[in-house]
Amino acid sequence: MSELAGTSRPCLAAGCRWTSGVERKTLVFPEGALRLRETAYAILDRCDGQRTVDEIIEQLRITYSAADPVTIKHDVIKFLGELHQKRLVDFR
Amino acid sequence: MIANPIALIAEVTHRCPLGCVYCSNPLQLTRSKDELSTAEWQDVMAQSARLGVLHLHLTGGEPLARKDLEELVRFARSSGLYTNLITSGIGLSRRLKELVNAGLDHIQLSLQDAEEYSADLIAGAQAHQRKLQMGNRIRESGIAFTVNVVIHRQNIDHIDEIIALAESLGPQKLEIAHAQYYGWARKNALALLPSREQVRRSLETVEAARVRLEGKMRIDVVVPDYYARYPKACMGGWGRLQMVIDPSGRALPCHAAPIIPEMQFENIRERTLEWIWRESSSFRKFRGEEWMPQLCRSCERRQKDFGGCRCQAMLITGNPRATDPVCHFSPDHGLIEEFLARANGNAIHQSSESWTYRTLPHKARLGSRESNCY
Repeated sequence: MSELAGTSRPCLAAGCRWTSGVERKTLVFPEGALRLRETAYAILDRCDGQRTVDEIIEQLRITYSAADPVTIKHDVIKFLGELHQKRLVDFR
Repeated sequence: MIANPIALIAEVTHRCPLGCVYCSNPLQLTRSKDELSTAEWQDVMAQSARLGVLHLHLTGGEPLARKDLEELVRFARSSGLYTNLITSGIGLSRRLKELVNAGLDHIQLSLQDAEEYSADLIAGAQAHQRKLQMGNRIRESGIAFTVNVVIHRQNIDHIDEIIALAESLGPQKLEIAHAQYYGWARKNALALLPSREQVRRSLETVEAARVRLEGKMRIDVVVPDYYARYPKACMGGWGRLQMVIDPSGRALPCHAAPIIPEMQFENIRERTLEWIWRESSSFRKFRGEEWMPQLCRSCERRQKDFGGCRCQAMLITGNPRATDPVCHFSPDHGLIEEFLARANGNAIHQSSESWTYRTLPHKARLGSRESNCY
């Protein structure tokens, strides 16, 4: 597991997955579950171990073109850092 | 409107190859002939998923004592439940692959101590080496896992070594869980309760390790509540988040609830899970704040700890409605202090010589220490 960088490829950590029901925006893991806001879901849904952090930020800038691009970058890095601390996200 | 439960704790059997002296199972264990069938457990799982439950914790006893465990896991997963297996690891080697294929999400593997002799003495069985082998196999399989170690006087001074051992197995998480004094643990409490000084040192050690291992292995701690100032939020509040189903199908708001003599518990063989959760007198009895003594009802922590544990209040004060005596505001808190003084005074004399291993009723009659259900 490496540290967060623009070239890191984030993925859901072992033991974390989306609920299989209708409510796909709920992340379940050993200690509990997180129901995610639309924007948080938009970030995490792209964490497939293929895309890099930079690519995710770029895609979100296109999707949320009305938002400030600097804020988007800041939010993505902060969010992924927090989830990494909670061991919900790993980096490849 | 009562919120739905989010977790179901399925004690699928009380059979277990170990006889751990700290076991929190009831002293009256359920025999295998009284266990729910495969179809009955599957029905419980399907009902719980419909009721909004997200997590299923398969526990016991040793869940692997059931031959249908793979079938239960497959069914749970297909019902949409996040499935966690809480296991000693004994009997897992030839079933791990099948369980992972069945959709198991997470394994919680128990260890008793860092060193073989002591670990096996606590478990009352030769298990330690096999557990370590299983830990390695689990890591290699790629499934997420937690190592859980119950802490008490017999292993508390080895916490450093325990952490190092867990680290070598490579789980995502280590759970350092101080013993909870119910069932067999309560019976053996005088041999198990650590001293205040031991607790203080151990928490320091854990804190240092937590910093050192950040980002590598997460460490969670269940604090020893006899030494706490405030009680634990037992089960996250009575009838608030979780349901326990015991091997015979009784629905319990807390594992230890049957020790409260005045209570009747519904069985899922006779009632639906939803009815039990919403309507049964057992789940309603200590739900919310109505039942609380004035001390709790006027306390600002009532939304945090929900008055503590009803079963602990029963065990120690004889009154399940009392404030949990662990709370330093409780008028009965002196009983905890007394008990701690007794345990500390006993520290030298009371050792493994006089403790009682957890045994099933028929095993107890044979006077056997080693129980092996395979």
